[in-house]
Amino acid sequence: MVFSFIVIPLLVAAFLPLVGKFSKKLLPDVLTNAALAFLVFNSILLVKPIFNQGVIVQNLNWLGERVNLQVALDGFNLFMLFTISLVSLCISLFSIDYLEHYGHKSTFYALFLVMIAGMNGLVLVPDLFSVYLFLEVAAVASYALVAFGLGYDELEASFKYLMLSVVASAFALLSITVIFGMTGSLNFQAVAQGLQDLQARLVLGVCVAFFIMGFGLKAALVPFHAWLPDAHPSAPAPISAMLSGLLIKVSGIYALFRIIYSVIGLTPALSQLLMALGTISMVVAALLALGQKDIKRMLAYSSISQVGYIVLGLALGTPLGIAGALFHLFNHAVAKGLLFLNSGSIQHITGTRNLEELGGLGKMVPVTAGTNLVGALSIAGVPPLAGFWSKLIIIMALIQAKEFGYALVAILASILTLWYYLLIQRKAFFGRVAEKWSQVREAPFWMSAANVVLALVCILVGIFFTPIFKTWISPAAEALARGIQQVLMWGL
Amino acid sequence: MAIQIILLCGLVIFSALAILLKDLIKAALSLAVASLLLGIIFFRLAAPYAAVFEISVVAGLITVLFILTIALTKKGDEVTEARLVKLAFPVFLILFLIIDGLVMKSLLQKIPALPSGPEAGTFGEVLWKQRTFDLVAQVGVILAGVLAVLALFRKKEEDKDE
Repeated sequence: MVFSFIVIPLLVAAFLPLVGKFSKKLLPDVLTNAALAFLVFNSILLVKPIFNQGVIVQNLNWLGERVNLQVALDGFNLFMLFTISLVSLCISLFSIDYLEHYGHKSTFYALFLVMIAGMNGLVLVPDLFSVYLFLEVAAVASYALVAFGLGYDELEASFKYLMLSVVASAFALLSITVIFGMTGSLNFQAVAQGLQDLQARLVLGVCVAFFIMGFGLKAALVPFHAWLPDAHPSAPAPISAMLSGLLIKVSGIYALFRIIYSVIGLTPALSQLLMALGTISMVVAALLALGQKDIKRMLAYSSISQVGYIVLGLALGTPLGIAGALFHLFNHAVAKGLLFLNSGSIQHITGTRNLEELGGLGKMVPVTAGTNLVGALSIAGVPPLAGFWSKLIIIMALIQAKEFGYALVAILASILTLWYYLLIQRKAFFGRVAEKWSQVREAPFWMSAANVVLALVCILVGIFFTPIFKTWISPAAEALARGIQQVLMWGL
Repeated sequence: MAIQIILLCGLVIFSALAILLKDLIKAALSLAVASLLLGIIFFRLAAPYAAVFEISVVAGLITVLFILTIALTKKGDEVTEARLVKLAFPVFLILFLIIDGLVMKSLLQKIPALPSGPEAGTFGEVLWKQRTFDLVAQVGVILAGVLAVLALFRKKEEDKDE
């Protein structure tokens, strides 16, 4: 059932603080992981109906009476739900061992599940105001999670994140308010129809600008990126993985492009603007990543850069561009989730994230080093790993659309990406083992297991690229492209 | 019109006070008053549902959460705010008011008028039959708020004795 993606995490989150009174570790671990495993299973079960029917619309009945709770599931939302559930499950497996020194697991998991419920809700609702509300559900939980360690850095980063995120939400809400004022409706389809009848181009242009500022801030596109390199490294590793892997994509990219494709319509001018923003993010963030010494900070800049690729593909608007961008969204969620968890393992093992202090760890901790290498090469776009295919499709789409300049920049940015990821490999894992790391041991079981699962996903998706692309990515891209065609048909 | 202007000025003043006041209880109460004024403005603009939500959730529930949180904290070290932060907010507020005055007035004239009419149905109908999903999301926001208070004001010492 589609509603379970929102209801189950919220219900489990509501009970976890009580459960935590009786069992501080075991029950919170089991309950959270079981709930997330169920969501992964549920999203896999929904593939076949979506593949056959295209769209599933579900209404909720309560005691025989129909309640106005309606969700419409298409290939695109299902793809997002599966990505969220899979990466979250791996992150919560990692948290079993990682949270030992933080304590208060039940509260952590409860906030974690509320954040997931917020993201799932955002993905499922076909209504502008509900999008804003679920955006806030995920955001409120994420502020608390960034500050969970209660150290000075965590609190400062959380405050900075809160301040900029509130500004982002305010821009999005302002735009939603003006659109509601113009059309008298909040439902995606009704708003799109209403806007077409009105022909209010100037006001609509201002609304689009506010949406780009609001969701651009959430997605940390350059020049709205200043908060991310502080917020993501300061959070506990599972939350860094969650924020960089999922939250910026769901609350930034998904929300922005869902509204553009299903409500406003992608005009050539808007497409060029977003492609330019994507390209600037891709290059500027890659250059900034090169100079970082803190692994997590480097990964944070890398996230901004990779988000640039996704925006570039989605803004291009061709079926191949959309498919490549969505595939890269999935690959980046998995590989960046893996790399942030991996950086948590490195910090757990050595007590530092500073690349200058590390060295030669590959011989001492082969699982951590191996999985890090897989994640890094996948994001850098090295064949046959998953990230190679998605980057290749985006670049092919750019060439197909005769955007040769953008294609060239995308290739050059990919080389920069490979450069800074090889820097991590060289400084942290290769070379002579420093004296102080000669006694280090591999990370605990669940931390390594989560890393291995995500690394396997990177490898297997790369190897079985064709069937996965047909089953998951194509229906998602078709659902998005259908949105564009509908809006274009309405004449915007 | 005069009452409307007084209410709007009051809203801006109490919102600014909520940020500028050093005493957190007073700041939380200023926010509640600002929210109450906003609720009255909604009522006067014939949007009773928005007013009810504003007064019940923001003026009521969120104020309770704030005061609860403040009650959980104790007076600790003196925190000195950076000078830049002290200056930034008033500058931003004045700038925003100027932009608002200049842009929104001309923009609003270009927005086609919404087909007017009272909000359809009773409060219950709107709440349960038209905006039901918002209730689920509001439950989520409140849950996230309560859990955030639990997480951020937990006793660190308790963590160790597990």
